[in-house]
Amino acid sequence: MSARADGRARRRKCAQRKSAATAALVVLLGALAGCASLTASSPAPGPAPVPAPGAPAPGEPPAPSAPSPPSRPQSDAHAASEALLEQSRAQRAAGNNTQAAASIERALRIDPNNAALWVELGEIHLAAGNRSQAASMARKALTLTAGDAALASRAERLLRAAGSG
Amino acid sequence: MPRDSAKKRRAKPRRSWLWKSVGAVLAIAIGWCGYLAWSVGSEFEGRRWDLPAQVYAAPLELYAGRALPADALAAELRRLGYREDPRLPGPGTYRLGLGRMEIATRGFDYAGDQEPERLVSLAFANGRISRISEASGGTAALVRLDPLLIGSLFPAHGEDRIIVAPAEIPPLLPEALKAVEDRRFDTHLGLDLRAILRAALVNVQAGEIRQGASTLTQQLVRSYFLSNERSWARKIEEAFMAVALELRYSKDDLMHAYVNEIYLGQDGARAVHGFGLASQFYFGKPLDELELHELALLVAEVRGPTYYDPRRHPERALERRNLVLRLMADSGLIAAAEADKAAARKLDVVDSTRRSATQSAFLSLVRRQLAADYPASELERTGLTVLSTLDPAIQSAAEGALADGIAALGKKLDLDGAVVVTTPQTGEVRALVGGRQADVEGFNRALDARRQIGSLIKPAVYLAALESGRYTLASVVDDSPIEVKLDNGDVWSPRNFDGEAHGPVPLVRALAESLNMATVRLGLDVGLEPIRDVLQRLGLAQKPPLYPSMLLGALALTPIEVAQIYNTIANGGFRAPLRAVRNVVDEDGKVLQSYPIEIAQAIDPATMYTINQALVQVMERGTGRTLRGQLPADLVVAGKTGTSDDLRDSWFAGFTNDHLVVAWLGADDNRPIGLTGSSGAAKIWARVLPALEAHSYDAPPPAGVETAWIDYGTGAPSAARCTDAVQLPFPPKAAPPRAFNCEGATGLGARIRSWLRHDGGE
Repeated sequence: MSARADGRARRRKCAQRKSAATAALVVLLGALAGCASLTASSPAPGPAPVPAPGAPAPGEPPAPSAPSPPSRPQSDAHAASEALLEQSRAQRAAGNNTQAAASIERALRIDPNNAALWVELGEIHLAAGNRSQAASMARKALTLTAGDAALASRAERLLRAAGSG
Repeated sequence: MPRDSAKKRRAKPRRSWLWKSVGAVLAIAIGWCGYLAWSVGSEFEGRRWDLPAQVYAAPLELYAGRALPADALAAELRRLGYREDPRLPGPGTYRLGLGRMEIATRGFDYAGDQEPERLVSLAFANGRISRISEASGGTAALVRLDPLLIGSLFPAHGEDRIIVAPAEIPPLLPEALKAVEDRRFDTHLGLDLRAILRAALVNVQAGEIRQGASTLTQQLVRSYFLSNERSWARKIEEAFMAVALELRYSKDDLMHAYVNEIYLGQDGARAVHGFGLASQFYFGKPLDELELHELALLVAEVRGPTYYDPRRHPERALERRNLVLRLMADSGLIAAAEADKAAARKLDVVDSTRRSATQSAFLSLVRRQLAADYPASELERTGLTVLSTLDPAIQSAAEGALADGIAALGKKLDLDGAVVVTTPQTGEVRALVGGRQADVEGFNRALDARRQIGSLIKPAVYLAALESGRYTLASVVDDSPIEVKLDNGDVWSPRNFDGEAHGPVPLVRALAESLNMATVRLGLDVGLEPIRDVLQRLGLAQKPPLYPSMLLGALALTPIEVAQIYNTIANGGFRAPLRAVRNVVDEDGKVLQSYPIEIAQAIDPATMYTINQALVQVMERGTGRTLRGQLPADLVVAGKTGTSDDLRDSWFAGFTNDHLVVAWLGADDNRPIGLTGSSGAAKIWARVLPALEAHSYDAPPPAGVETAWIDYGTGAPSAARCTDAVQLPFPPKAAPPRAFNCEGATGLGARIRSWLRHDGGE
């Protein structure tokens, strides 16, 4: 393995260790909070509550003061996919789940390893009653969230809500 | 009606035979005329709806950060028929500057998602788009170009058309057609008697039919019934039908039908009808964007697309085009100076087959995907729009890679192949090449060549081994001669490709170097059934019988089926059904059908990640390492070679973060081709790679995976500083301990083994 790859692997390993403890705490709290918020909101039909981009989900503990470094560099398409994520949220808020899903799919085509997009698409599927796709997308997101505890707990919550957690 | 009148006449027996005969003839004539009028009318009505589905490529997305140099973007724009014009006169034009480009984009509707016309300015730096700003101010996060029309799902050996609405017809076109073909179109009743008399005079003088006097209406009738017959009877029929049409429809209706119907060229088995398709066929852009000299050429083609074929007989075509321009000037449609200027232009016809017939292999995949939901009649007649997943740049690179790659291998001519490119995460097929002559429609090897996959099966064997919980990548398996007693009493004794035995080797090395004896021993221990189960979860549709030879890939699959299996592998164990179509839209822009991204977890992410790290070692140290020199030094890729018995099939499946490419080489008659996976198909793959925006394969390790260093040759614990050490993932608590010196790994015995290690098998 080349020196560059070694370095990358080492960084990854360090990041993992460092964040392991905080991640465990966040997942635990997030799980409790997430369960509460989902059971509270589930009887109400209509679009799922839309968290503001970047803001912690309701009831979720604030992110640790020293944020763990992201294990992956942002992709070239990050800014573009962020714009589509915003567009999708606006469409979802307007009750247009079909176009909201189409916007996320468009974002995934240019930024396919962005875990936030998979969670978002899974949430749209869940709102549309497609539990199996919601669960699959939560699982997919969980393979890509390394280092982002908040996103991982959002994916965990989606997985549980989809009934396969 | 004929029968009625015959009865009445029979009731009057005194009438002479003569009257009876005349009556009968008259009745038949009236009946015949009625029939002609009815058939031409129904043809006219029917044709309005006889529209093959139009298939579009995926639109090109432009955003800051995208690796796309200005010249590559300019090539894409030209493919879309954009013109370079410093004045940016309207949508479909662009202007190149130093390190920047301005584009006036076309607006379009993409399955209900509106993309407006925009005037944008792009800045480039280091081969990337660095910034996109709108003329109206502000930056644009994302700009989408209108998708390329790649073809139609017209019936086999049928006609193809792109219907243009009256509003899309340049006003000059009907006027030019009248000036050149039918001066009295506006006033005649389907026939032009003066022209007929003049032509008759010429023909009588010449003693043969030399000059025609067909009106546009007559030409339309002739086109409906596809008759080249020049008999008098046929002409009389046509004349009658022309009059019948004129009586029933307005001149505008007739002109509109003519513009969409008339035969203007031949593209292999596909007849090119109508100015809309002809505009794409000859110039690669929509009719309303044609310049004067281009429009004039299309009008010139009306007289005889074979004789005046601008690609095969450019001088004849040029002469006739300039005649058309002169006639237009004579009729006052354009100024004489304008005509002279246009006459000085080149024909400007785009490179033919490369653009229109090329995607036929991909189109058959589209057809197959849609066949489940739409009968052929609906696809061929109802004017649907199909939004596909094709990336035109990757497609043309893949076509070139296969053709040039085969030529570079310098093999005999019967070597052929196929290439499939997908995006693993979404399952979208980005390119599909069915043979080295991509522009010739024929046997589609990517979809229909069912061939032994050889060692491409091995990742499934190793996945099953890891899933059993009894093996890790550091587990040692014996690569020594093995004899397998088969059910029929025969003894199977597989050998390695290099004929050598490598003794005890770790799984990672056995997979990377594709060692046959180690794999068979491992597979028999794991069991054939779990391996078949893994294959089916990965996406294998069939249920192969459980023979030990399956362990070495005695399983025949098509390249697209292999792509489905490897797509799941490249997607971290998530199966995404391969798709060529995103949406089907009807004539009114309503989305009839969507094929959304669908995924399902097929393999535990940690197990898949582990095998994929071994597939990275294929490229670093195993059968794929010969390619290393051809790849960018810092690009991490994963892949697997495959070779069937007697070197009949050469396979390679390789992936980066964003693309999976499956390449196959072989002969149609299944003769040995003398190529292994790495000496053949892998080289095709390496030629496709530069066209992909390749990002290193760098999937993050899933939760619960531990990493450890082992000695690649022996599997013994090692450390980062030791030679031949490789860092690999392991399940929790199963990772080998850390070595405190390098002796365990690179002691004398291991070092000798390492020196003696021969080049691997396939």
